[in-house]
Amino acid sequence: MKVTVPVWDLPHRLFHWLLVASVIASYITAKIGGALIDWHGRLGIFILGLLVFRVLWGFIGSTHSRFATFFPTLGRIKAYLQGHWHGLGHNPLGALSVFALLAAVAVQVGTGLFANDDIAFNGPLNSLVDKAYSDQLTGWHTRTFYVLLGLVGLHLVALIYYRWVKKTNLITPMLTGKKELPASVAATLTPPQRSGLIRLALSLLISSSIAWGLAGGASTLNALSAPAPTPPPSAGF
Amino acid sequence: MKTKIALTLLLTATATAALAGPIEEQIRFRQSAYSYLSWNTAKIKKQVVDHPETFNKDYVAAAANAIAAVANSGLGELYGEGTDQGTGWKQTRLKPEFFQKKAEVTTVANTFNEAANELAKVAATGDINAIKTQFGKVGESCKACHDLIRIKE
Repeated sequence: MKVTVPVWDLPHRLFHWLLVASVIASYITAKIGGALIDWHGRLGIFILGLLVFRVLWGFIGSTHSRFATFFPTLGRIKAYLQGHWHGLGHNPLGALSVFALLAAVAVQVGTGLFANDDIAFNGPLNSLVDKAYSDQLTGWHTRTFYVLLGLVGLHLVALIYYRWVKKTNLITPMLTGKKELPASVAATLTPPQRSGLIRLALSLLISSSIAWGLAGGASTLNALSAPAPTPPPSAGF
Repeated sequence: MKTKIALTLLLTATATAALAGPIEEQIRFRQSAYSYLSWNTAKIKKQVVDHPETFNKDYVAAAANAIAAVANSGLGELYGEGTDQGTGWKQTRLKPEFFQKKAEVTTVANTFNEAANELAKVAATGDINAIKTQFGKVGESCKACHDLIRIKE
């Protein structure tokens, strides 16, 4: 007999799919450029908010969202490779991939904050660094994207491998939040602990404030450095 | 024979020395042109996109005219043979393939030129939404050229 057990809570799933959508959108807007580069910047700030949320949720979310639950220690990885790992959430190898993906997205966002496109776009914290350093970070922003792309590729290959070789569907649980297990196995697992609305509200408040601060803070900085409009044909002195 | 070789070498050396100046100069002039452009795109960005409440028609039109003037100044002249190597204000980022991609370069350069002139025309009307749209097109034309012939940092 099979039973369904909860594994990924709703905020966790929303984080996952919003991240997928916004990373794809930010790639497209960067490629097209022009006026869309501003949307690329907004998406970057949104992704930063998502990351902050995920980190907070990694401490106060429900069981399988917590970093401590799935942190890939050497012992856990060894046990997994020897076939002794029986858990519900991220397995130790999957956990490595999770941390690598989060780190790669963080590098993209972090460098993007200071980047410029040499046309008419500056990252929200661009004014804190000089042009040469901003150019360097922009270079990294472009190059490290391929690291992220590689990790996403690996992630997708792993999904296909699990689906066809190990006969495990990993995508449906990320949509429904539930996994199907034989009742006998489910009985051996400790039921996951739920998070709470207050913790959710707190995480949302902190992450959205930071994102809002960057979006709004940037325009404040710009406004401060905006020159007083000088109507020509004055020479502007 | 030996004198001929010596003479050829001497001539080559003299020619190279004479060109060293102009190459650096071309690079320096074009780098200056693009930084002047970026000063003016930043002005339009501020008043049209980021803070439309500060929009001043004449200020934006002056910036658009400056952009068009640079675009119309014949920048192609600053891309002579050998200018893919050398240091102006800083080392050039021109890809050596520039010289094999003349047709594509002409296309992106003309696109920029047309977009910049159209921007000046639209800016003169003071229609902020039209300026914003055309400004995006200018940005796209900048990017097309960067993607084609500029070495990424």
